[in-house]
Amino acid sequence: MGFILRRLFFYLAAFMVAVVINFMLPRLMPGDPVTAMLGGRGAMMTYDQIEALRQTFGFVDGPLIQQFFSYVSSVFQGDLGTSVQSFPETVSTILGRAFGWTLFLTGAGTLLAFIVGSLLGILAAWNRGGWFDSIVSPLSLILQATPQLVFGLLFMFVFGVTLQWLPSGYAFSPELTPEFSWLFISDVAAHAILPVFTVFIVQLGGFLIPMRNNMINLLNEDYITMGKAKGLSQLRVMLNYGARNAVLPSVTSLSMALGMVIGGAMVVEVIFNYPGLGTVLYNAILARDYQLIQGQLLVMTLFMLFFNFMADILYLFLDPRLKHGGSA
Amino acid sequence: MNFLKLLLGNRKASIGLVIVLFFVVLSVAAPLFSDYSPTKRVSRPHQSPSAEHIMGTTRMGRDVFAQLAYGGRTSLAVGFGAGALVIVLAIGFGITAGYFGGVVDEVLSSMMNIMLVIPQLPLLMVLAAFIGEASPLVIAIIIGCTSWAWSARVIRAQTMAIREKEFVSAAQVLGEPAWRIILVEILPNLISIIGAAFIGAVIYSIMLEATLEFLGLGDPTAVTWGIMLYNMSNTSAILIGAWWEVIAPCIAIAMVGAGLALMNFAVDEIANPALRSHTGLKRWKLKQAQRKKILEAGKQSLAKQQQVPL
Repeated sequence: MGFILRRLFFYLAAFMVAVVINFMLPRLMPGDPVTAMLGGRGAMMTYDQIEALRQTFGFVDGPLIQQFFSYVSSVFQGDLGTSVQSFPETVSTILGRAFGWTLFLTGAGTLLAFIVGSLLGILAAWNRGGWFDSIVSPLSLILQATPQLVFGLLFMFVFGVTLQWLPSGYAFSPELTPEFSWLFISDVAAHAILPVFTVFIVQLGGFLIPMRNNMINLLNEDYITMGKAKGLSQLRVMLNYGARNAVLPSVTSLSMALGMVIGGAMVVEVIFNYPGLGTVLYNAILARDYQLIQGQLLVMTLFMLFFNFMADILYLFLDPRLKHGGSA
Repeated sequence: MNFLKLLLGNRKASIGLVIVLFFVVLSVAAPLFSDYSPTKRVSRPHQSPSAEHIMGTTRMGRDVFAQLAYGGRTSLAVGFGAGALVIVLAIGFGITAGYFGGVVDEVLSSMMNIMLVIPQLPLLMVLAAFIGEASPLVIAIIIGCTSWAWSARVIRAQTMAIREKEFVSAAQVLGEPAWRIILVEILPNLISIIGAAFIGAVIYSIMLEATLEFLGLGDPTAVTWGIMLYNMSNTSAILIGAWWEVIAPCIAIAMVGAGLALMNFAVDEIANPALRSHTGLKRWKLKQAQRKKILEAGKQSLAKQQQVPL
């Protein structure tokens, strides 16, 4: 229990750091921050609305600490302010609407990368030094060193625009209405192929290489030799004896990767015009909609922390030593 | 020096080094390769590649190859600059935490861990958005200041392991000051880790810079690979079919990333011989086969000897 409490306290501290960054940045801008944040669009808002915004961001009369508490209390009430760009919608509503698409996109891509990457990693380790290993391992490392931006643009250009095999934008065809039908679901799937594949290909190496290296270290263990000596089939030794243990660290890194990718896959959404957080944020950047940009940092941090916490709990199950007060 | 020798001795690393050097030479000596200015209109818009403009022209009628070569200067400078900043911060935090331990370690480690769980791209976006059109220098600084935590943790762990070695205790008993132990006894033993972390940080920084600029957070008047992609997407080059404008910066970024990754793959193998897949393993298999042969031969002769008396 102590372990979980300590982690929770740490996550709270980390979240507060993000809150402090958000709190300080507008105050470092020259001039009146609220005027600067609203840009020319403050004119659309009434005096009351601007006052409410000041309250949310803690621009109240009083010392800095009082301003800070005003901001913190609005953050913890889920009030992230109002979007300037799509006034009068609140930042929370806009982010909430986009979040599902992002979770779908990154979740599918990362899970796929985990499964395929781990399997290929097992094979590469089993045939270490063979042709499969010497092609796949360096290749996946190179894939990992190529930004999503590059893959996204190339896939979009080749498959979306030149060959026109797959749709190159949006989550579903504009003439369809969201409903639970085969037509709609297959349309969503067709639109998801290119962005999901982009997320997948970039992540592949991140699961393949650690799996291969873990597996290589494990294959020297005595129980593997024992398994072979017993005359078990290659497949059985490889999967039940080797992979089963080698996959443990990958399971926890899967959870953390999910948290990380949600922030990182923004570019993919922008390229494919996918209606997730990335696209929302991109439009916010173009319109200098600071409230929205700040809001997404908090939301992304929260999800990163959530997935890290998931990883901690998984660890607790996978590594029983931690249950008895050991340190992480 | 040792590090360089190891890099050159590995085939993957040599290939990687050649790729990276190619782009470094191309961009440093850009005026030798291209007669055009990267920021001037030199032809009609969206010309496909020809003898005159080997990579075609942009919407603004600028030479893509000139932009690629000159843009490489800034992009590589940002990559290596941010990478250097990352490594300096990581060494500072990592060694201090690992060597001194105790409260110092507690404080620095929590800082590292917090940096690790705050998502970086969203954080950079907030920073860049408030800074306004961020110049390449500013981008390098904010990338450097937000990406050191991972390397710092690795360096810290390794420092803690080295600190327990006898030669460090010996230096402590001799009364050497802490800074001298760190610089003379510990740092040289971290070189391969630091090298790998530096290369990784450079890859990462080049990717991040391009991403931030593509998203419109950079200075649109700068000439970098990221800004090339930004302008390309702003002028819908993809839809028009101006493939040369898409491919050129994409290939450059991907090639440099691949080159650096190959170098790092080799560094990994040098640091952890168990992961080697080529020369070392082949030699091991060869020796194993030779040993077997000798054993077999021995067994046979032994068997013959035993047969004689019967």
